[in-house]
Amino acid sequence: MSGFDPSLLLTVDWPEIGTATLDTLTMLGVSLLFTIVFGLPLGVLLYISAPGQLRARPRLYAVMSFLVNVLRSLPFVILLIVLIPLTLLLVGTSIGVAGAIVPLVVGAIPFFGRLVENVLREVDRGVIEASQSMGAKLPQIVFKVLLPEAMPGLIGAATVTAVALVGYTAMSGVIGGGGLGDLAIRYGYQRFQTEVMIVTVALLLVLVQALQSAGDALVRRCRFG
Amino acid sequence: MIEVRNLSKHFSHEGRRIAALDDVSLQVAAGEIYGIIGRSGAGKSTLIRCLNLLERPDSGTVKLGEQELTALPEGELQLRRQRIGMVFQHFNLLRSRTVAGNVRFPLELAGGLTPAQMDARVDELLQLVGLADHKEKRPSQLSGGQKQRVGIARALANHPDLLLCDEATSALDPETTDSILALLADINRQLNLTIVLITHDMRVIRQLCDHVSVMDHGKVVEKGSVLDVFLQPQHAVTRSLLAETGFGQGERVDAWRARIGVPLLKLTFVGEPTLSPVLDKVGRETGLRVNLLSGTLSEIRDTPCGQLLVGVVASDVELPALPEIFAREGVRCEVLA
Ligand SMILES: Nc1ncnc2c1ncn2[C@@H]1O[C@H](COP(=O)(O)OP(=O)(O)O)[C@@H](O)[C@H]1O
Ligand SMILES: [Mg+2]
Repeated sequence: MSGFDPSLLLTVDWPEIGTATLDTLTMLGVSLLFTIVFGLPLGVLLYISAPGQLRARPRLYAVMSFLVNVLRSLPFVILLIVLIPLTLLLVGTSIGVAGAIVPLVVGAIPFFGRLVENVLREVDRGVIEASQSMGAKLPQIVFKVLLPEAMPGLIGAATVTAVALVGYTAMSGVIGGGGLGDLAIRYGYQRFQTEVMIVTVALLLVLVQALQSAGDALVRRCRFG
Repeated sequence: MIEVRNLSKHFSHEGRRIAALDDVSLQVAAGEIYGIIGRSGAGKSTLIRCLNLLERPDSGTVKLGEQELTALPEGELQLRRQRIGMVFQHFNLLRSRTVAGNVRFPLELAGGLTPAQMDARVDELLQLVGLADHKEKRPSQLSGGQKQRVGIARALANHPDLLLCDEATSALDPETTDSILALLADINRQLNLTIVLITHDMRVIRQLCDHVSVMDHGKVVEKGSVLDVFLQPQHAVTRSLLAETGFGQGERVDAWRARIGVPLLKLTFVGEPTLSPVLDKVGRETGLRVNLLSGTLSEIRDTPCGQLLVGVVASDVELPALPEIFAREGVRCEVLA
């Protein structure tokens, strides 16, 4: 590859970059929201149903755990393709921003759910036992003890998931998902416009950095004393 | 108040079956402080956790007043637990809440109070445990003793009729331990609250308890009033737990006897005679001269008492007559010849 000429940046189609950035942010925001909405209960369910835990259901746990592992072991690209029928059913299209969100969410839920399970396991057993000794019911334990005590860890898990989702959104360019990844593939890779590639990668990097900093700041704010 | 009958509990650990509780029975009277002592692994925590059924016994029953806890369905048990306070060795406070928030927690669980009523109750409790100035602090900003005061305030929040303390002072230094024990004694008096505490430290039992059970390998090996157990320990485990307090040093007697070759007397003082010159008086009446070998003078709860081990150097009366003579002075004398 020849040397990169900075003046080429002037030829970049900036409005299109702008649209792609917005698309990426939309995909990220919406899929992160759904991932948390479904992944958090999944994580709590995994945690409380595990053997020896608050509502141990070893068989249910084994089944859920297996499904989570299956989804996590599938390469995201495969998931993108396998899920096309489901995506069509749910959002009516399998391409573009809307089409990308379903596989993004399906891919990220088990990832986030497992992180949540692990974070909850770090909550001091003594504190849970103390709340049981005070007569706490299961929902009270979950909402007044587990989740608040695990909050810094949960925010950390959400941050890791958001960063992973940025990577997934880039990959969804493969199925014409739109966004920065799509742009990088269409111009940078297929048409050899290196400058577009560089700009999109730089923007993705900024996004990841921003997410991580925001997550870290939130964790710092809610760390306990 | 509490009646524990034939409790047994086994754990499987690495394929071995461990009897954490082996046919344990005991009774606790309303308003008293009841101690359970034993070495680490004796089954104390398992026993106290069976009193609010955090641990389900394999067999046996626990009755609180007229209510058989072991027969209650889960929902009613949760309701009953709101009025059984529990205090833990490692405090187990919520890190995510302030001091006030931690004390408020059991009130929120129980429901039934308005936010303003909860605040008032929290203030009252923090006043009681001497933490009114630390309301808005996080547990991480408190000393161990302060954390345990929060733990105690929290345990008292819903007006319990029973307080369970699992090694409540074992993570604290001696001075802090004394202040927490004083607080527990206060609460017991002020609220007429029944307290069951477990500990491996005989000093805790001596300062605080009315009755005590000694546990070893899941069994209660000795129980009785604290005075009796300290002054007349029957079981080897009790004696060895007592060793550092200076009481009940029966095991050392043989060694002493062999070394000095004279008959020994064990003198036990309870109450008034502890503070009178009994030995001097008996000495003048009977020509008894003794050689002080070991002993302790102390208080058990608020009763002065002591125990001396002495060698008989000379005596004008026959040794078997001595117990009778000491008994007239209110002192128990055993001849260990
Ligand atoms: N959850 C458990 N699983 C397996 N063994 C246990 C469990 N809890 C207690 N034990 C065992 O039961 C015995 C009594 O434990 P515990 O009641 O904690 O004693 P203590 O409080 O007197 O130190 C010990 O041998 C301990 O290892
Ligand atoms: Mg213990």
